Amino acid sequence: MTGAIAGYLPLFDLYLIHLGLAFSQYIVLRAGVFSLATAALAGIGAYTAGIFAVNLGMHPILGLVAGTLTGMGAAVVLSIPLARLRGVYQAIATVAFIQIVLSLNIYSESLTGGAMGLNNIPKTVGTVTLLVFAAGATYLIWALERGRIGRAFDAIRQDEAVAASLGISITRHQTLAFALSGALAGLFGGLEAYHAYALDPNQFGFHLLITVLSYVILGGRNSVAGPLLGTALLIILPELARPLAENRMIIYGIMLIVVINYLPKGVADTFLDWWRARRLGRQGGAP
Amino acid sequence: MTTLRLTDLEKRFGGVVASEDVNMTVPAGRITGLIGPNGAGKTTIVNMITGMLPVTGGTIHVGDTDITHAPAHEICRAGLARTFQNIRLLGETSVIDNVLIGFHRHKSSSLLSALLGLPAAGRETRALRDRAMALLDRFDLARFADYPAGGLSYGHQRKVEMARAMAAAPDFILLDEPIAGMNDVESEGLAQIFRGFAEDGKGVLLIEHNVRFVARLCSHIYVLDGGRLISEGTPDHVLNDPGVIAAYLGDAHA
Amino acid sequence: MLAQQILNGLVVSGVYALFSLGFTLVFGIQRILNLAHGAIFMTGAMVAYYTVAAGGPLWLGFILAIVASGLLSVLVEIVCFRRLRRTGDEEFGGIISSIGAGLVISTIAQQVSSTQILRFPFDTFPVVIFRFWGLRVSMLQLFMAGAAIVLVLVLGYLIYRTGFGRRVRAVTDNEHAAMLMGINPNLVYSQTYFIAGALAGAAGVLVGLAFNSINFVMGEPYLMFGFAIIILGGLGSIPGALLASLVFGMVQTLTIAYLPSGLTSTIIFAALFLILLVRPHGLLGKEDAGNLRGRR
Repeated sequence: MTGAIAGYLPLFDLYLIHLGLAFSQYIVLRAGVFSLATAALAGIGAYTAGIFAVNLGMHPILGLVAGTLTGMGAAVVLSIPLARLRGVYQAIATVAFIQIVLSLNIYSESLTGGAMGLNNIPKTVGTVTLLVFAAGATYLIWALERGRIGRAFDAIRQDEAVAASLGISITRHQTLAFALSGALAGLFGGLEAYHAYALDPNQFGFHLLITVLSYVILGGRNSVAGPLLGTALLIILPELARPLAENRMIIYGIMLIVVINYLPKGVADTFLDWWRARRLGRQGGAP
Repeated sequence: MTTLRLTDLEKRFGGVVASEDVNMTVPAGRITGLIGPNGAGKTTIVNMITGMLPVTGGTIHVGDTDITHAPAHEICRAGLARTFQNIRLLGETSVIDNVLIGFHRHKSSSLLSALLGLPAAGRETRALRDRAMALLDRFDLARFADYPAGGLSYGHQRKVEMARAMAAAPDFILLDEPIAGMNDVESEGLAQIFRGFAEDGKGVLLIEHNVRFVARLCSHIYVLDGGRLISEGTPDHVLNDPGVIAAYLGDAHA
Repeated sequence: MLAQQILNGLVVSGVYALFSLGFTLVFGIQRILNLAHGAIFMTGAMVAYYTVAAGGPLWLGFILAIVASGLLSVLVEIVCFRRLRRTGDEEFGGIISSIGAGLVISTIAQQVSSTQILRFPFDTFPVVIFRFWGLRVSMLQLFMAGAAIVLVLVLGYLIYRTGFGRRVRAVTDNEHAAMLMGINPNLVYSQTYFIAGALAGAAGVLVGLAFNSINFVMGEPYLMFGFAIIILGGLGSIPGALLASLVFGMVQTLTIAYLPSGLTSTIIFAALFLILLVRPHGLLGKEDAGNLRGRR
C-alpha cells in the first residue's frame, strides 16, 4: 500500500511545482495581460537558485529567496515595455523574451553550464516543502482575488476604460500582477532546481510555455480553482493509460483547441458559473 | 462653491480643429446640459474631460484640481465620475461586484493586508458590501445583487452603472447620453435619479441628444456645433436662439 | 566577401518572404496570429521529402507540398478559428487554438518521422555552382530566388489585380460591408488560408533543400523569425512584410557571418523587442499596437 503511494509521489511533486507555475501564468491573465513569460521567469529563478547552490555553495533558503527576487525583478523590468503594448503584441514580446533568456542562458556557458545544463545541484527540497509552498501560493491567490486587488484585476481585464474611470490605475495593477507572476515563477523554478538535481536550458522554453498555458486554459482563468483543477487533470490524464502518455502533446494540442472553442471559461469556472446560476434559480426571481 | 470648469478648451487632430474656445462651468448642486446635433463634437469634449483624449489647448479643473493632463484614473480621484454612452458594465461579474469596483478609490486596507488576506482586508470587503447593498437598495436593484450584470435588462443595467458611479462618491458626475435607447417610463425614472444627484449637492453634466429631456432637467444649457459653443443660457433662451434652431434644422435636413 | 554575403542574404530573404507573406496576410484579414504557420511550413518540407523518398520526382514533391500545406492551412482555419470568430474571442482564443493546432501537427510529424532528421537523397537537386565576378552561386540558390520571386509576383497579382484580391481587401476592411456586397467571407477566408499555407509549404521545401535537413521542429525558428518580420513590416501589411524580409534576411546573414553565432538569436529577438517598443505598428503598418486609449 505504501509502495503504491510512493510510486505516485514523483507525480504529486510535479503537480505541486507546476501548480505554482500555473498560478504565475494565471495571475497575469487575470489582470488582463497577455503575457506568456512564465517559462522564462521560472528559468531565471531556477538558474539563480541553482547557481547559488552549486557555484556559491549558499544555503537553499537563500537560493530560493534569490530565485524569487530575480524572477520578480525580471518580471517588473519586463512589465515596463509591455505596458505600452496590448493583446497579440504582448504575447509576441513575451515569446521573444523567452527566446532571449534561452539563448543568453546557452551562451553564458561559464555561469549556467550552457547547453550542457547545470548539474549536481544538491537535492534539498522534498514533497513536504513543496506542499507548504504550493499551499502558500494557493492561499495568496485566493486571498488576492476576493479582495480589492482581485476586483481591480477583473475590471481591467474586462474593460480598461471602465477601470480607469473608477480610479483604478491600469499600469500599477498590471505591474503588481507581473511582480507576483515573476515571484511565483522564480520561487517554483527555484524549488524545481533543488528538487531535480539538474537543470537543462530547454526545459524552460516553448514546451513549458504550452504546458503551463494548457493548465490554465483547461482549468479556468477566473478563479483559484482553475489552475488547481487544470494542472491536476493534465498531469493525471496521461497516467491513466499508456496510449495517452505516448501522445501527451497531441492531447494537449487537441485539448487547447476544443476547450478554447467549446468551453472557453475552462472546466472549473464553467462549473462554478453553472452552480451559481442554479442557486440563483432556486431563490427565484429572474432579472 | 466648487465647479467643474473648462477654460478655452481646444482639440486638434494634426491640423484639423475638432473643438475650440470651449468655456463651460458646471456648478455643484445643479444639472448642466450640453447638447448639440450629431457630429457637433460632444464626444470629443467628453473624451477630453475623462482623460480618454489628450488635450491640445486650454484647461480643465475640478474644484481647484487641474485635471487637464491627468491620466484617466486620477480624474476619478479628483472627484469626477462618469457613465458611458453605451452602457459598460463588467458583464461576467455580478451586479454587487460591479458596484464594489466603484469603491476602489476609497482604499483603507494596505496593499500587504490585501495581498495576504489579513483580517483588515476582510473587514474592508464586508463593510463595502454593506454599503454596496445600500446603494443597490436606493436604486431598487437589491434583488439582483448576485446576478451577472450582463443578464439584466437595458434599463436595469443603466441603473447599475449609476450605482457604480455613485460608489466612487464623486463631487461631479458626467452622464454621456444616458437615456439613449430608453422608453419614456425608464427615462422618467432616470430623470428622478438625476434630480436626486443634484439635490445631494453633486454637480451633474448631462450630455444628451434629446433636447426636450435636457430642457426639462437643466438649469443651464450649453449648445455645441462644429466643435464650438454656439449658445448658452436657460432652456428657454437656448431653445429660442435662431442659431441653435438653424444648427438643429441643418442637421435634420442633412 | 561582402558581396557574397549580400547575395546569400538575398536568397534567405526570399524564403522569409514566402513564409511571412502568408503569416501577415492571415493577420490582415482576420486579425488572427496563426501560430500553426510554422508547423504548416514544416509539413511542406515533409511532404516533399516523402514524395522523393517514395521515388517521385522533386517537381511533383514541390507541387504536392504546396497543395498539402495549403489544404492543411484551410483545415486549421475551419477547425481552430471559425467558431472563435463568431464568439468574438479570436484575438486571445486564436493564439491558444493555433498553438494547439501547431502542437498536434508537429507531434504527428514527429511520430511519422520517428523524431529523425530527414535528408533528401544525394543529387535530388543537381549540385551545380556558377561563378562570376568572383561570386559563387549554386543552382539551388538560383532556384530558390527564382521560386520566391515568381510566387511573390503571383501573390501580388492575385491581391492587387484580380477580383479575388478585391474581395480579400473588402473583407479585410469590413467583413459586414463585404457580406452586404454579396461576398461570402468564409470562402474568401478559405482561399486566403490556402494561399498562406501554400506559400509557407513552398518555403518549407526550399529550406529543406537548402539545408538538406528536415525535422518536426524546423518550423519553430521560422515562426519566431516570422514574428519579427511581420512586426517590423507592420502586422497585416504585404509590402511591409516584403521589405522586412529583405532587411531581416540581410541582417541575419551578415550577423551570422561577422558576430559570435551564439548571440545571433539574442540579437534578433532583442531587436524584435525594440521594434515593438519604438514602432509597434512597423515600418509600413498603419495599425496601432492595441488600444492605448487615452492618457495613461
